[in-house]
Formats: sequence, C-alpha cells, structure tokens
Amino acid sequence: MTALGKPIQGVTLYSFTRAFHGREYDLEGLIRKTAAEGFGPGLEIIGFSSFRGFPEIDDHYAGWFRDLVDEVGLVTTSLAVNADIGIHRDRLLNQDELVAYMTRQIKAAAKLGFPIARVQISIEPDSMEALAPIAEEHGVTLALEVHADQYASHPRILKLRDRYEKVGSPFLGFTMDWGATVSGFAPSLIESYRRRGASEELLGQVVDLWNTYYEQGPPADQAEHGQRFGSFIGLAARNGRPDLGIDFGINGTGLFGPARVDDWLAIVPWIKHVHGKFFGIDENGEEPSVPVRDLVKLLVENGYNGAISSEYEGWHWNNWESPFDIIRAEQAVQRSAAADAGSRMITDLAEARAQLGAWLPTTEGAGA
Amino acid sequence: MIPDRIIEQGTLTTHGARTAVEVRLPWYRALPGSCIAGAKLTIDGVEAPAESLRWNMNGREFSFDDLRTNTEEWWFPTDSAVLSGDLPVDPDAEHDVRVDLILYIPYIIVSDTETLHIEENDTKTMKAVAA
Repeated sequence: MTALGKPIQGVTLYSFTRAFHGREYDLEGLIRKTAAEGFGPGLEIIGFSSFRGFPEIDDHYAGWFRDLVDEVGLVTTSLAVNADIGIHRDRLLNQDELVAYMTRQIKAAAKLGFPIARVQISIEPDSMEALAPIAEEHGVTLALEVHADQYASHPRILKLRDRYEKVGSPFLGFTMDWGATVSGFAPSLIESYRRRGASEELLGQVVDLWNTYYEQGPPADQAEHGQRFGSFIGLAARNGRPDLGIDFGINGTGLFGPARVDDWLAIVPWIKHVHGKFFGIDENGEEPSVPVRDLVKLLVENGYNGAISSEYEGWHWNNWESPFDIIRAEQAVQRSAAADAGSRMITDLAEARAQLGAWLPTTEGAGA
Repeated sequence: MIPDRIIEQGTLTTHGARTAVEVRLPWYRALPGSCIAGAKLTIDGVEAPAESLRWNMNGREFSFDDLRTNTEEWWFPTDSAVLSGDLPVDPDAEHDVRVDLILYIPYIIVSDTETLHIEENDTKTMKAVAA
C-alpha cells in the first residue's frame, strides 16, 4: 500500500493578478504579503507576468530574488513558463526554435531557484523528449499542465504519458490543474453575469447546459469541444445576449472541465506539481464548484508529496471580494481535507524544503 | 480578461493634429510587439486614420507594421503604452474615448496554423489636456 502523501501548501501569484496588474502590489510586495499571510511555504510565479524582461534574468536580479524568498521564509516551487509557438504572427515555431525558446526559460528557472518549470500542452511528445536532457542538465523538472479542455485520460495526454514512460527521465511529468475536474458552473461567475444584467432564465439555462455536459463527461476530441463551445454561443444569442456568448463558451469549456476526479488516476504517478485551481468560496466556507476535498483526498491516498499551488481564478469576474480572503479560506479547506484523509498539509518551511528536495530529482552541480 | 482597465483615466493629451491616450494590457502576462496586432482610437465617435496610428512602448515609437515582426520589445502587464493618431480634439473639454485592441495569445494554438486572437475594447470619458 502506498504511504499517505503530505502535500505542501502554497500559492501561485497568478491568484493576485488583479492586485498586481492594478499596481496595488509590486512583485516584492506580493511575495512579502504571501509570506506574512501564511499562504506558503510554496511559491509559484509566472515568468512572463512577474519578471520584467523574462526570460533574460541577470545575476544581480536573481540574487535579489533568491535573497528575498529566503528572507521571508518561502520555498520556490514552480516557475510557470510559456510555449509561445505562435510568437511569429505568420507561422508557428518549428521544433528546433521551440526547444531553444524553452531552453532559455528552463535556464531562467534554474537561475531563480525554481526546481520545476510548468510547461504547456502545445509542446508535443517529440519536443518533451528533446527537452528532457536540457531539463536534467539544469536540474529543473518539466511538469506539463493538464488543463481544461483537456483532462488526464485525453488522447493527447496519454500520448505524452506513454512517451514519458519510454524516455524514462525523472525530469518529465505533469502539473495537475483542478479545473479539468470541476463539478459545477461557478456561482460567482453566475453572479457576475447577473450584475451585467443577464436574466435569471438565461442563467438557469447556462447552468443546465453545463450540467448536461457534466453528465456526458469531457469532450472526446477537439471537434466535440468546438461543438460545445458553439452551443454556449447559440444559447446566449437565442436569449438576446449575444455579447455574453464567447464568455459563456470560454468559461463553460475552457475553465470548468467536466471530467471526474478519478480520471486523474490515468497519470497519477507522473503528477509532479498541482495547480489547486478554484473559483470561489461560499457562505459555508466551501468551494461550491470544485471538489477540493475529493481532489486532496486522491492526492493524499496516492502518496503525493509535491506542492499544491492554490490558484484562484475567480478574479477574472469577481471584483467585489478580496482574493487574499478567498485564498485563506480555500487553503483551510485543503488542510481540513488532508486531515480527513488521515494526513496533513505541510506548512512548515524546513519540512517543505526537505520534502520537495526528496520529491524531485536533482542533478549534481546543476545550474543556469 | 481585464478590458475595463485598457484606457488609463485622465491621460488624454492633444497637440495640434495629434491626440494620445495611455493604454494598459488587458492580459495577465507580457506580450511581444508581434502579438499587438492592431488598435483603433476613436474620440467622440470619430476614428483616427489607421495609417496615422503610432504605438509607444518602452520609450520607443512603432507603427503597427513595425510591430508585426518585433519579438524583442515586450509589453509588460504593469506598463502603460501610448496610442496616438491624427485626430484634433478640443483641449480642456470632456471627450468620449474608445480604444479597440487586437492581441494574439502566442501559446494558445487553435488549429494547425492559427493562434488565438482576442479583441477587447474600453470606453471612458475624460478631459483632454494640451501637451
């Protein structure tokens, strides 16, 4: 039997996008706030959001950043990097260009002290295989994010898993994003549509349509995904609110993935990092549309000892509640769920550092 | 994503035939010039001629044609860019300012050859200041 896991508590600064973008907090301010609030010890950052000039990071800046993280008592977990395959407007990057583009970001992760780089679905198995020795050279694990509208048992993800198995590098894995296994259309998003004048009848139909897709399970392929996307647009148009159609479609298919929690079992040994994606907290202190308790239980029971970055995504539409209050409440649910599963979340810095070090592979003398 | 913040309140300036306003990125992460695919500047319902539009970012001025191939200059999410065009307006009067933006999101590939693009707009009322 697998020993119970003890996930490491943490947060991604993406949760506070609205505060950073609105210039209420700069990067240093957000890191200090994260530590002071006890949202760590795990700290995840998106390179292209938070570091000016990314992925070029000079020694002086890297030193400043690492000293700051040490001073406030956090541990860097994942640097979210981007596979900008469409950076040239007239063509997509070829394989060599993509490998070079990702290598610069892997080096930045190593230099800034992140042991994981979160990469994205547009990277195909061949490119992951080509990146494995580069990841190993720099001591950075590549954790490809499984995000709605994909899900763990999606053919594209299984192709990656099978390639990982063939390559056999401990530096290749997945980031599990809880948005792939959502159990309801987020009530706070419904509230935001209400505030934009949507009728109760329309909102009821949106929820019903999403529930129909939940009953059917996730889309088998991109064609079915596209058909569902289109059905949300059609629903908005039929109800005299075509302006809301794209929004219904993007959120209904790309944020709220309708797979079941146990779908993650298809890739669970390769899950190296977790985005604890969620959208809000209700009056009972629970997440009403993401099965946080079941997801934490699954991780604990499968021996997961990596970090969970709480990733609040309700900020897109919720401009009436503090993201800091919402993160605090969601992390309480995670801790409670881990205890209910007979384990606990790691919140102590020294314990988190030691456990993350043991959880991830390392390379002797690695660095940027 | 955050379209309500595209136009920076109180930044409308005018100088002879040219008028400018500060613009914020309605997205969470930096994008290179090549992903800033187009803009419109409309004041009191009158649109500045497309060929007169200029984009000032990181202290450098670009036409939208210049931006097309530029992957060196990036628009950081906390920086304002300046959008300007040929559009004479009365200084010291209130104006309805509308900015439309087309952005390519370079990591979201929607088909074998196509990258997601988003079209966002924002409208705000503000007084023009003579530059």
